[in-house]
Amino acid sequence: MQTAVSIEEARRIEAFLYLEARLADESRYEEWENLVDEDMYYWIPLAPDADPQRNVSVTADNRKRLATRLAQLKTGVRHAQTPPSPMRRLLSNIEIERSANPKVAGAQEYAVAANFVCYELRAQSTRQLEVWPGRVEYGLRAHGDSGGLKMFLKKVMLVHASEPLPTLAFIL
Amino acid sequence: MAAIPDSLSAAQPRADGAVNYDELIQQDRIHGSLYTSEAVYRDELQKIFYGGWVYVGHESEIPEPGQFVRRTIGEEPVLLVRTRDGRPTVLKNRCAHRANLVCMEDRGSARSFTCPYHGWVYGLDGKLLDVPYPNGFTRDRNQYGLPVLPLVDSYRGFIFASFNPDAGSLRDHLGNATRVIDRTIAMSPTGEIKLTAGWVKHKFQANWKMLPENDTDGYHVNFVHASFARVIRSQYDAAAMTAEQELKSRTIDWGNGHTEIDFAPAYPGELAWLGLPDASRYPDYVQAMEQAYGHERAHQLLHDGPPHTVIFPNLFLAEMNIVIFEPRGPNECVQWHTPLLLGGVSDAVNDRIMRQSEGALGPSAFLLADDGVISERQQIALRSGQAWLDLSRGEQREIVEADGSRIGHVTDETTNRGFWHHYRKVMTR
Ligand code: FES
Ligand SMILES: [Fe+2]
Repeated sequence: MQTAVSIEEARRIEAFLYLEARLADESRYEEWENLVDEDMYYWIPLAPDADPQRNVSVTADNRKRLATRLAQLKTGVRHAQTPPSPMRRLLSNIEIERSANPKVAGAQEYAVAANFVCYELRAQSTRQLEVWPGRVEYGLRAHGDSGGLKMFLKKVMLVHASEPLPTLAFIL
Repeated sequence: MAAIPDSLSAAQPRADGAVNYDELIQQDRIHGSLYTSEAVYRDELQKIFYGGWVYVGHESEIPEPGQFVRRTIGEEPVLLVRTRDGRPTVLKNRCAHRANLVCMEDRGSARSFTCPYHGWVYGLDGKLLDVPYPNGFTRDRNQYGLPVLPLVDSYRGFIFASFNPDAGSLRDHLGNATRVIDRTIAMSPTGEIKLTAGWVKHKFQANWKMLPENDTDGYHVNFVHASFARVIRSQYDAAAMTAEQELKSRTIDWGNGHTEIDFAPAYPGELAWLGLPDASRYPDYVQAMEQAYGHERAHQLLHDGPPHTVIFPNLFLAEMNIVIFEPRGPNECVQWHTPLLLGGVSDAVNDRIMRQSEGALGPSAFLLADDGVISERQQIALRSGQAWLDLSRGEQREIVEADGSRIGHVTDETTNRGFWHHYRKVMTR
């Protein structure tokens, strides 16, 4: 069950999404990780209706594995991102709802969805431009009096997830 | 003028213009054009992918009559189907009328296949059953089925096929590799494996042969996977990343192009291959294995784990994963993978296998993402095709066993030599 949000809440959430997108575009993983909550799940399924207990995913990171992924990117010898891919992504068709049944009882949580397209230059090998289109669902949670947001879900549904995908070692 | 150094010289073509494989593949080196030449690629399709046995799929993917999966052999679209009498068959996915793809689904269940173009209907065995508006078509329908591959055979659920009726027996092709498949299946206390979790497909802008080569190359692990080693304690630390004298794992050339990295001698304990310090996490798995295989053999299996073996040309038993190699021209290939889920174990064990699969293989994985870009960099460096690649490492310390297999140090090119020397045999047949 979900309900609509105020203009102010929507502005705040959109600003969060654009910041998250920019930090990911620029491979600023330390700052990006600051946006992530303790129960984060970063998921790239093969199909939008996949079940991670029964279906293998492209990526299915709980918080611990995500931390390892970011630590690996920061070693300087993650060849698949050395040098990092220059990227720019666009978000559009943003839809926001407040969760009536939050995952954490009493918390203010939002279910957000958007379309995106990310252009990536594979600077570390082919030097070709890749296009990563899809829809993304975020779970966001407001923290403290200031209402600062943290992300606890990022589900990236690539249009071509079930087709052969090029190497994808960055955060989509 | 000084002579052009050997390393810069072109390989000599044969007088008849054909590719000279005996010249390009030598005991201790191979020529770069093998990765870039269109002519070599065309020869490979004919001799390896259409001339010999190739892996197509597993029985667990098509458990019931009528079930099918779409696959590609070389560049030919095919359907692996379980027919009404329960037998697996492999059909070309190409209408006998005007060559339309008959089936677009990746997997499913059917009573028959109807071509969407003009409605011809085929049985699960490929036979042409119906032609709409029949008065205009008077030819013998028996001549118009979906072509059935002449050889389809399986070993313990692994289904292979060949376009070539004279490819010999599957057992002869597998040779020593049957024992490797046995080891994979023995990871399940009931001898059942289930390839039902779906396939992730990872595209490399690189030649397909870099997949079997890299997948059983033990020398690169410490370098290509340095970032992985820095952030994750794993079984590979002891097995492939310590000093040369301390490495106990081995490379094995089983013959017929089948090659392995045997990590077991380096595993410190049971279930190291699941990234665990010992077997205490899964007591019910241990108990089921003991019941199935007896105490001694069960604990040997729990220690040694699954094989890490390429079966020539397109199957990789990648520990707790099954991998298929797909060639797509000289400069592109796709590595498919699915987790090797086990029968007779708790969901918790299979869940770990699934998560480990995502961690190791595929486009975003901690391991294969790095292998992918290295292969692509090799392909860029090889673009001219004018290079020799060295294969000599460890020649002098290889051991030949009674069954003909050759054993090397884990960092030695025993596996690469095994692949290439068999390749040469196939390509000059
Ligand atoms: S092409 Fe299939 S029925 Fe005509
Ligand atoms: Fe590797």
